[in-house]
This record gives sequence, C-alpha cells and structure tokens, in this order.
Amino acid sequence: MKVISRRSVLKAGVAGAVFVALGPSFAQEYPEDYPLTVIGNANDLEVGQAVYFTYPDGQSQGILVKLGQEALAGVGPERDIVAYSAACTHMGCGVQFKQGRFVCPCHNSMFDPAVNGQVYQGLATTYLPQIGLALDEGTGDLSAAFVEGVIWGRVDNVLPQD
Amino acid sequence: MALYDRQDELPIPPKGTEKRNTVCQYCNVGCGYEVYTWPVGTVGGKAPSDNAFGIDLSAPQPPLQGLAYTESMHSVVTNRDGRRYHVVIVPTKDSAINLQGDHSSRGGSNAQTLFSESRGTQERLKYPLLRVGDDFHAITWDEALRLLGRVIKGVHGRYGPDELTAKAADHGGANGGFANIYAVGRLFFTGLGMKYVAMHNRPAYNSEVWGSRDRGVHELHYTAEDARLCDTLVLWGANSYETSTVFYTEHMQPNFQGGTQSEKREVFDDGEPVIPTRLVVVDPRRTSTLTILEAIDPSRTLHLRPNLGTDYVLANAVARVIWERGWQDQEMIDTRTDAATFEDYQEKSLQLGKPLDELLGEAEEITGVPRAQIEQAAEWIAAPKEGGFRNRTLNIYEKGMIWNYKNYDTIAALVQMEVLAGNIGRPGTGCGRQGGHQESYVRPPYPGGRPPPNVDKYLLDGNGKFYWVIANNPYLSTPNNQLFRKRIHERTLALTSFLSILDESAGEPSSMDELADRVLQGVEQTGGLFMVVQDIYQTEVARDAHLVLPAACWGEIDMTSVNCNSRLLRLYEKFMDPPGEAIADWDIMARTGRQLAELYEAEGDGESAQRFAGMEWQSDEDVFLAGGQEFESNEVPADMEASLHPFNYKGVDYAMLRELGQQGIQTPIRRDPQSGELVGTKRRYTERFGTESGLFEWYGTDAWPGFPAEVQKYLEGDKAERYPFWMTTGRNQTIWQSAYHQRHNPEKMLTVPLPYVELHPDDADRLSIESGDMVSLFNEEGNGTFVAYVTEAARPGMVFAIQYHPGGTSNGMVSPYTDPKTTIPWYKGARVAVRRLEGTIGSVKRTTSFRSQIDFS
Repeated sequence: MKVISRRSVLKAGVAGAVFVALGPSFAQEYPEDYPLTVIGNANDLEVGQAVYFTYPDGQSQGILVKLGQEALAGVGPERDIVAYSAACTHMGCGVQFKQGRFVCPCHNSMFDPAVNGQVYQGLATTYLPQIGLALDEGTGDLSAAFVEGVIWGRVDNVLPQD
Repeated sequence: MALYDRQDELPIPPKGTEKRNTVCQYCNVGCGYEVYTWPVGTVGGKAPSDNAFGIDLSAPQPPLQGLAYTESMHSVVTNRDGRRYHVVIVPTKDSAINLQGDHSSRGGSNAQTLFSESRGTQERLKYPLLRVGDDFHAITWDEALRLLGRVIKGVHGRYGPDELTAKAADHGGANGGFANIYAVGRLFFTGLGMKYVAMHNRPAYNSEVWGSRDRGVHELHYTAEDARLCDTLVLWGANSYETSTVFYTEHMQPNFQGGTQSEKREVFDDGEPVIPTRLVVVDPRRTSTLTILEAIDPSRTLHLRPNLGTDYVLANAVARVIWERGWQDQEMIDTRTDAATFEDYQEKSLQLGKPLDELLGEAEEITGVPRAQIEQAAEWIAAPKEGGFRNRTLNIYEKGMIWNYKNYDTIAALVQMEVLAGNIGRPGTGCGRQGGHQESYVRPPYPGGRPPPNVDKYLLDGNGKFYWVIANNPYLSTPNNQLFRKRIHERTLALTSFLSILDESAGEPSSMDELADRVLQGVEQTGGLFMVVQDIYQTEVARDAHLVLPAACWGEIDMTSVNCNSRLLRLYEKFMDPPGEAIADWDIMARTGRQLAELYEAEGDGESAQRFAGMEWQSDEDVFLAGGQEFESNEVPADMEASLHPFNYKGVDYAMLRELGQQGIQTPIRRDPQSGELVGTKRRYTERFGTESGLFEWYGTDAWPGFPAEVQKYLEGDKAERYPFWMTTGRNQTIWQSAYHQRHNPEKMLTVPLPYVELHPDDADRLSIESGDMVSLFNEEGNGTFVAYVTEAARPGMVFAIQYHPGGTSNGMVSPYTDPKTTIPWYKGARVAVRRLEGTIGSVKRTTSFRSQIDFS
C-alpha cells in the first residue's frame, strides 16, 4: 500500500506547455506514475454539460464538468472546472451528472462535485475520486494529471497496460 | 487537494490468507461480510492464483458483479503479539440478506472503525481509569474491580438494591450480542436484584412494543423475503433507505420495480394476480425512502403526513374504513382472534357506534391527513385483488411509531389494523418493526414490575447512590437531556468534591478499600452519585464518571446476534485483539460477580456469594451456552413455534454456527420432536399467535385525549407564539447512533460536521435562514445549536433535527413525558423556537455539501 506519493516537477516542461498553478506560479506537485493526458478544452466547456473521457487508462471513465460555481480544487478563471472518476465508489456503476451533481442510478448515491466529490446521500462510503487537472492557459487545454482516491474496482489506479 | 488523506492503491491479501465470516456491526439488516487478516510485510499478487480473493486483479472489476473492495474496507491493526496486521473487510456475496455484495455507507466502512495506533480510533479506551479530581489515572483491573466490588457491596448492604442503578445495552450487533447481554442480566438481576436498570436508549426497563406483544405478536415475525412478495409495502415512521438501507435497496425497491414478480408467482395461490406493487409512507417528512420510489412511479406511492403524535388515531381511522368497506379478513377474525376482546376493539378503536363520516371528520381534524388519503391507504392495505384474493401487505414501522406519543396505544392500533386486514402469517405480509440495531436479548427475569420505574426521573430526584452506564451514552441519547446532564453532573461532582477534600488526619486513601469507604461516606453525606462508565471510548457521559472501564467490541470477540428482518442467527467471528487491557463486557460482569462473591465469602456470607455462582465463564461461547439455558424447552412441533421466545436458540453451539456461516439459522429454533433436529422458523404466526390460547387478543384504544401537559403548555397563550415550531427528530444515512465510531473518521465528519436541522424553504425564507447558517433551537427544556439545511423534506411549520451527534443533541428540547402504560418517552415531538445565529461558520459552508438529500431526479 502507498499513500499517494508526490514529487515536485514542472509537468509544464514535460508536456511542452505553460501551466498555471492554483495561485502563485510554483512548480506543481504531482504524484508519480500517472500519465498526463489532455481530456478537454476549457473554452469548449459549457456550464452543466459533462464531458466524458478515460483516465488513467482506457478502462476508467472520467467526467469533466464546469459547474458555474467555485469548486474545491477547481481550475479556470472561475475555479469551477473539476473532473472525477465516473465509477460510483459503492459498486462501480457509472454516475450521471445531473443538475450540478452526480447521481448513481444503481443505488442512488449522490456526490457533490463542488465539495471534493463528497458523498452526501446514499450507500457509497468514500468520496468520488477527484482527478487532478492542469490547465494550459494559452490553449485552454485541460490535462488529467493524477487521481486522488482509489478508482472503484481496482487495487491500483495505475494498472499494468498490455 | 483532497479534504482528507486518500490512497490510490490497496493491499492485496496473499493466497492462503484466512477468511473469517462476520456480520456488519451496525443496523437491523445485518449484511454479511468476510474478513481477511494477514501480517504486514506480505502482500498478494494480482493473478488469481496469487491472492486470497482468487480473482484477477490486473483488470478492473465489473460494476455490481465484481469485488467491492474500497479504501474504507482496509485497516492496519496491532494485536497483542505486538505485530501489525492488515485487515480487509468486504461484503460477502453468499448472503441472502445483502444480495450481490450490496452494503451501506456504514457497513462499507467497518474496517475504519477498528482500533489502530495510527488512526482516529487510537482514542479507544485501553485501561481502567480512576477519577482523581478533574483527571483520570490509569489503574489495573485488580484495583478497579476491588473498588467496584466494595462500592457495590457497600451500597447494597447499607441501602438495598434500589440504590444501585444502571443503564445498559440490551441489543445485538455493535457492542451487544447474546453473551454480553446475558452476563449483564446475571449480575444485575440474579446477583444484585436491581430493578432500577434502564435500557440503552430509554429511561426504563421495558418493551417499546408491549402494544403488539400483549396481542400475541412479537414485532420480529416477518422474514426479509416478505418485502419481495408483498403487494403493498407500508413504511410507517420508518425511513428505511437511510436506516435499513440494504433491506430497502435489495428487497423493497426491487419489488416496487417489478423485479420479484417471478418469486411472487411461485408463492402466490393458484390464479392469484401479481399486481404492480404500491408503497404507502406515513411520515411527516418527505424522506428519501419515499422520493426514490416516487420518482419511479408516483401513481403507486401514497404519502400520509400526520400531525405529530396522532398516528394511532390515523391507524384506527384506516381500520374503520377497512371494516366499513367489508375488506376485513373475517375468517382470520373468527378463527384466529379472541371474540371477547374484539368487542372492545370494535367499540373503542373502530368506534362502530359513531357514523363513518363523523369519525373520519374527527380523524382528519386531529391527524391533519385528508379523508381521501385515509380511504386510499385503506384500499391499498386491504381491498381484495381481482378474483377475490386477499391483498398482501407488509407493514414495517420504527422509531416514528415506537417513540411516538402514547406508545402503547400507537403500536396496538397499528398491529390491530393489519390483523383486521389479515396481514400477518402469510407470505408477503406482516406488521413488525424494522429495527434500529440488531437483537440478542437473553436474560434472567427482570425483578421489577410493569410499568417499570423511570430510572432517569429516579436519579434526577436525588435517588440512587451508584450508577453504572454500559455501552450507551445518555448524555446524548436520553430525553429531556439538558436537565439530565446538568443534574447528573451536579450529583457526580458532589461526590468528586467530597473526595477531593484532603482529610488531614487520614491523608489520601491508601488503598481501594479505603477509597471505597470514602465513596460510601461521600454518597451518604452529599447526596452524590458514584458513576461507572463502561464503553469503548471516552464518551460524553464518561466525562463525569468516577471509574471508566474499557470494553472490547465487534471483531474482538466471537459474538452472536440476530438481524431484525429475518431473525437470522449467525456467528460474528473474532479477527483481532482488543486494545490495551480492554475485555469483553461479559468478562467485566463476570469478574465483578466473582469479586463480589469473594468479598461476601471473606465475611462468611456464603448465601450472598451464591447469588453470583456460575459466572466462571472462560469463553464467549460459554456465556452464549449459559444464556441458551434461560429459554424454555424448544422441543415443540412447527405449529407451536408461537409459544417460543423469539430468539430461542437452545441447543445451538458455535460449531454449528461456524458450519452454517452466512446461511445462519432463523430463530426461534425448535428441536423438532419428530426428527430431533434443530430447525429454524422462517415466518412466525402462520398457525397460532403468541398467547396462551394461540388467539390474537384485541385491545380498545383510548379516545384522543389531546397532547400531554408537558407539550400542551407550548400550544397555549404567549408560549404558542414564542415556540411556534413543531420539532421532530431522527437519523442520518452517514452516521450511526452517536457517531461513536464515525466521529473519528474525517470523511464522515466533513459530511456531517455538526448536528443539523432541516427547515422548509417557506419557514427559512421568513426567518432569513440559508443552508449552512447556524441556528439555535430552544424551548423551556433546553437548547442547542444546529447547522441549517433548507429542504422540501421538512413539513412547513415543523423542523426536523438530527437526534444526536458528537456536536450536540436535540433531545435537550424533548419533554419528560413518558407513556404511563409503558414508560416510553415521546422523543419525536416537541415545540421549539428557531433563532438564526449572527455570522456564519464559513469552513462548514465550504467543506460540506448542502444539496438536497431527497431529490434524485
């Protein structure tokens, strides 16, 4: 077992783009092992509309949303852009983004994307894993950089790829 | 970024790791779990042949079907051998209760509750603690038992058993179980003859459902399958999605959605129609239990929102409509119920002397429920199906009923309504409790009478010199709580102050015998109270204790219990050691008993010592087996099961339970006279009811007397304006009871950081209250501060407060009223004022979701 370990690197340099940290322009801390994957563009996002992507591999669905209200660890000028694993932390069903929050159709667990994926109703025990985002201010590209919390159905977020 | 420490990898139990069976420690449902423990330093591999799960972990698990193993299902514990062990607790897939490995948010975090030197549960009590002034000193068991024994013996000898008082757990699951519950009874009842003993959640030694049991119906007679088979499900004062979660999601909801139709066809009579299932919810709140199914098909849900305290009037009105329409089960009434008492029921409950219109007009006035809804409920509960087949209604009730005004009449009215409609003893029927916790009652007979004395009141009035609180927390849970806390604090402090005055001639006590003598002097001279608290944590009530005793809990002993929804007896296997010097509750009672016997014998009083004989148990199973001997002979044929104690397990041992595993066996258990085998009972009262004659005994309920004086005072004159809101109380999905475990768990405390109150948007607007604001609730009994949730769940003019939480309790505003017939409080109804506090607690607004918990659309 490991608690998410982090290393301080300028992933900006690695990816060849300019990233803006949440505040002063320090080097951002990212956990090791995770890929850096472009999952959307901030300029294309509309409030209330979810963008689906896969991360950290093709078998794990994520949801990128612009909430229209400030969110914990949100990025963008309004700090309202967040991304989460779409697998309900209860039994792995795909959560749906409706009316500004996530609802699981299987047992009705509900998660608040503005509050770290907090499970505020239902059978799920842990918060929905939040996906760390890096924003390229120049292009608006949003990259997934790591996942906080175990994605349902895995013993390791980063599984060996064939 | 995350609000609390997260992981992104989980340890894998190596192949060959021992798997143990257990059952969730929490609610009435009793979901099955399996436990893996192995030493830190080894891990399994992802290949099926390299891990104890035997599955391929290199690929993601499929939703629903796959293994549910999440961050909250793992911990690392330190056993008494000084080594650290991984513990993984995952829902089992071989249980008929939690099908498919379903589990609740509470059960899913069982592992997080385990004692760990590296987590919040490090707060567990490890040693006996002795109060010295305002401090607690660690002491040994030998010293603690010596003090305890001398004080108990001293009080008993000088004043008799009535100055010894207690409040003790009597339940299953969690920190209960047959062995612990039995040992408490042996010490208090057989050993000491105490009658001032209250149960864990109420101020007396009573049943919350005498209104049903006196009729011949124990409240746990249905089986979980009945929720899959019923045509109509009635949830009366029960918010099952949040308090019986997996029973709801795996059995009730699938039935409503049509997923159990083939099961119905197998069980129903030839030609009996399978109709779309209907749901009746009786609750002043719009609960998630209602809104989830309402969102699926509102035409099949009915919501009755009675005024607080009026449910028995409502149940009687529904029964009258059933009678008036000819929907009663005449055959059952004629052959299985007592004709003599039926007249009384007809006169007082059905009020046949009163025209229907007049009765329904009165019922509408008192309950606030429109006549049309009363009639609709009666139709869904009792109207025969096409072809004249009787409808099958399962009626499940809980705290909204048992903790209602006029407890006895309320429960009696409900069960009689369902017997009138023939809804007990057939598949898909029943009228029983949902349950809060699980059950495991076995004790020698209680030496007190009925109705039992109100122990709270007895203590508040200055009676009692010794008070032993076991596995419960009356500083949060008892009614009229503020007064209770203040008075017990004063009385315990009086003794503490007495003990703190340095006796210059004698100095500090030099031994536990000397200290015990000083305690006995102190309680005599000051009116003070010597308080012992036995628990797993240093709880709120323990703040005022003189002696704190550390108990072992779930997972640390081999425990037995039954769930509520099918009386399923299983073994909850031990998988780790208790922390420090903590020992099982039964062991504390046994050691105390032996200490007392020794003290009596030293004085040559063999007769008194004899009262504690037989408490020389060596193991959890020894106590379980001794408890089994309390039950009557169970050598009865199947049609006489009604004559047995509902939990009779005579003849069952741990070997049998180990063999049965999650399959378990349903109590009451019979030794079949034909085969000599032990046989469980699936569904009760199919032939006879639990009375001498086997006939159901009716009871005529009281005419509506208005509210009790303790509450009526708030409805008159200036007070009606000053305290304009009704307040009802209840539970929350996320936390269990007083959150004794969850308060050590960051994600739970971030979700429910403070006690909260729900207000309807109209009321909130008038008072300029927004979600996340802090409000004060108060009346003449007490007060408390709560964070506001503005929600359509609340009825206008009525607030709903969480009953208790580490941050405070709404029981402070609850009146001292108890039903004179049962000594059961009316926890769920009070009048209060609401005041918005100036300013806000911004951190709570930022880190807690205030989204609607009842809108699933």
